[in-house]
Amino acid sequence: MSDSCVSRRPLPLSAYAALIVTIVFFSGALAGAPGILGSLDFTTVSGSFGKIAGDFTFLGKGGGGARYGFLFALSLVPGIMLALGVVEVAERMQALHAAQKLLTPLMKPLLGLPGSAGLALISSLQSSDAGAAMTKDLHDKGLLSEKEKTVFAAFQFSSASSVTVYLSMGVALFPFLCVPHLLPLGVILFYKIAGTNLMRLYLHFAKRNREAL
Amino acid sequence: MPGNLYSAFVEGTVKGWKVATQNMLPNVVIAFALITMLQTSGLLDGLGRVCAPVMAAFGLPGEAVTVLISTWFSAGGGVGAAAGLYSHGILNSAHVSILMPAIFLMGAQIQYAGRILGVAGINPRHYPVLYGIGILNAALAMLTMRFFV
Repeated sequence: MSDSCVSRRPLPLSAYAALIVTIVFFSGALAGAPGILGSLDFTTVSGSFGKIAGDFTFLGKGGGGARYGFLFALSLVPGIMLALGVVEVAERMQALHAAQKLLTPLMKPLLGLPGSAGLALISSLQSSDAGAAMTKDLHDKGLLSEKEKTVFAAFQFSSASSVTVYLSMGVALFPFLCVPHLLPLGVILFYKIAGTNLMRLYLHFAKRNREAL
Repeated sequence: MPGNLYSAFVEGTVKGWKVATQNMLPNVVIAFALITMLQTSGLLDGLGRVCAPVMAAFGLPGEAVTVLISTWFSAGGGVGAAAGLYSHGILNSAHVSILMPAIFLMGAQIQYAGRILGVAGINPRHYPVLYGIGILNAALAMLTMRFFV
């Protein structure tokens, strides 16, 4: 799917709805809410393992080393499956394209990149491999200059596949957080943008230095 | 449409199963094994003492440096190391929250150098700066998280 055909066709409202519901679902904002709303919460739907001997899950007490690590990792598998299942449904409902649409006008002021890189940017949050391949393609088509490509790489390289990795690997640490589950992801995205602008500055001064020589 | 969405959900969960069993689980098992090795050998204590002054700036105990070292090789390892240290009572939930963004911002740099910078055809001249920005992002994110915990 080329980016031009995506941006021309108006998106159904359901795409935006899917984007918002997905963000709310993972944010934990509705944890413990009454009725239907309370069911739209990742942690609630992930559920819990039954208790053994009154107090413990199958992880037991006092384990350690590779064996405990294995059981711990095993206990995370359902959460990761659920998270990526929900992300896939959101994607099928065009939530990613809705995000791209909302983001396109911000590309130039926030990152110094052309709006045509919006799809590659959103894709890179989901799959670093897709993002990198699309970046190369944009450059080959002349839509990204060498400098813009390098700036874009700074965005993609720090916390690659941010959303997918956060909602798979990161889920492992959700139970140990003392902040809302999506807050660290917000901090990640903020610093991805900050780092990208640092790269812009660096390339700007590196060029000036070369010209001065 | 609903059937279509159901099949998308199944596809996603299958993806999740693959990521969990092939990427996450092996890395977590290795991280837990390494943490145990470091702990029984006494190296973790030593490492913790040496790194304590630096890590204190981020509001973390010295041992937390193992999370940052592990994550540099693989984000799964970083997650595993954090979980391992938490289960040993060395990290608390505030520490894990501070580390959370950093684990990903500086995660798996060697692996992604090939998969992102290589594929996009970035001039290797810029690699050191790109590595540096990832690590700087992680450091600044830890300082930022201190305000939220």
